[in-house]
Amino acid sequence: MFLDSRILIMFGANALLLFLCSLVNSSLAAIPTYLILLGPMLIFPSLYLQQRSYFLCTLLTGLWVDAALPSNFGFFTFAFLSLGTLICLMRVRFRVEHNYHPIILAHCANATLILLLTLCAGLEALKVTSFWLQTGLTLLLSHLCLLLVAPWFFNFQRALFEIFQLDSEPEDFPIL
Amino acid sequence: MAHLRLDKYKPLVALGVFLVAWWVIPSFVKSFVRVSFNEFQAPTWIVTSYLDDLGGFWTRRSHSKIELIEAGRELAREKAYYQYYAQLNDRMANEIARLESILNIPSHREFHYEVARVIRRDLSAWWQQITIRKGRDYGIIEGAAVVFSGGVVGRVIEVGAFTSRIELVTSPNFRMAASFEKDGRPVVYQGTPQSGFGTPIGRVNDAPQDLVAQSQKPLTLVSTELGGTFPEGLRIGSVAWLEPGSTGIFQAGEVQLDDRLLRLHEVTVLIPLQALAAE
Repeated sequence: MFLDSRILIMFGANALLLFLCSLVNSSLAAIPTYLILLGPMLIFPSLYLQQRSYFLCTLLTGLWVDAALPSNFGFFTFAFLSLGTLICLMRVRFRVEHNYHPIILAHCANATLILLLTLCAGLEALKVTSFWLQTGLTLLLSHLCLLLVAPWFFNFQRALFEIFQLDSEPEDFPIL
Repeated sequence: MAHLRLDKYKPLVALGVFLVAWWVIPSFVKSFVRVSFNEFQAPTWIVTSYLDDLGGFWTRRSHSKIELIEAGRELAREKAYYQYYAQLNDRMANEIARLESILNIPSHREFHYEVARVIRRDLSAWWQQITIRKGRDYGIIEGAAVVFSGGVVGRVIEVGAFTSRIELVTSPNFRMAASFEKDGRPVVYQGTPQSGFGTPIGRVNDAPQDLVAQSQKPLTLVSTELGGTFPEGLRIGSVAWLEPGSTGIFQAGEVQLDDRLLRLHEVTVLIPLQALAAE
């Protein structure tokens, strides 16, 4: 098949995760809590799909996140594709049957995205103590939350593969 | 020698091609993609806010009749009070119009007030924005001022078909001309990164040297008409301390903003009447 039909499920799951996360952030705006849970979104496409399908799924997810969050348009698209490509190149080293490797990758990707956002905030912001305080708190809370959310998210995607009777095994890259 | 496999670099090549394409693509195409994705997501938030309203409606239905009667009585009192002020306001507006015509001075900027419900808040270290449930369908325009009962909220930065995005006064990207109450000299207000703890803050720069702020008697910072967006006299915040600025010529200080800014439910967008007339 030219494109993998699992793209739809992965993209849909990513959109759902982003919406739920934004809903929580919007409700908790009065207290200093903000969750960034973007890391898990780029793990399954880069570990499961063929290169063409992975690229399309990650591109769509990046554009979707860029439109939803008030960052510069293209920021998350670039970040997702760059991190996804990195994971793609190393995908033979990871096992996706269990959640252990995907969770670690999700944490690494999430931390990298938060770091990139922080670096892009500009020099003026980096000099302000309160900025670092809130960034640190966001990092801590997001990763604590990710400990619960990432396994649920990966299991949810696997369950959807089974419900829609799709292949629940990753595609092998022809690059071994 | 092992055969060199180039196909393993395909993801890297694809990324490189995309980077080049993104750089080459004209900005109107990117803008179109952004708007399309944005408009596609907007209905989800609108539906969520209506469901929230419905939840509120059913919660209020559970109140007893006695509670509703008491609330109605309270509202009637408030209504009588505001009706009196509405009459007073009309009389003063007529008086101002009469004086303007006698003295032949240009009239103040007039606004159409559009009350809108907040459907989403994005308040983090990186951005400080809210989204409201009204857009081009209600004549909202980019750059319009947004206020609430506590004063300035921010400015409209993006208008969609049914939603608009507002940059809050707390955002480091927000900057406006202001002045201290009972002192006409202009100063500059700018948002700063928030810690998230305590009340939200901003910063005032270019304050004249002779102004003295005390914690017992803080100065009130209000909007001016100089920026062309906000009407005069809207409260921004209070300043309890001023210190010499980086230039040494002017003073600078921290502005304590209204803490209700972080839990807004409804705001008012001020749409200039000239803009509506132009449409």
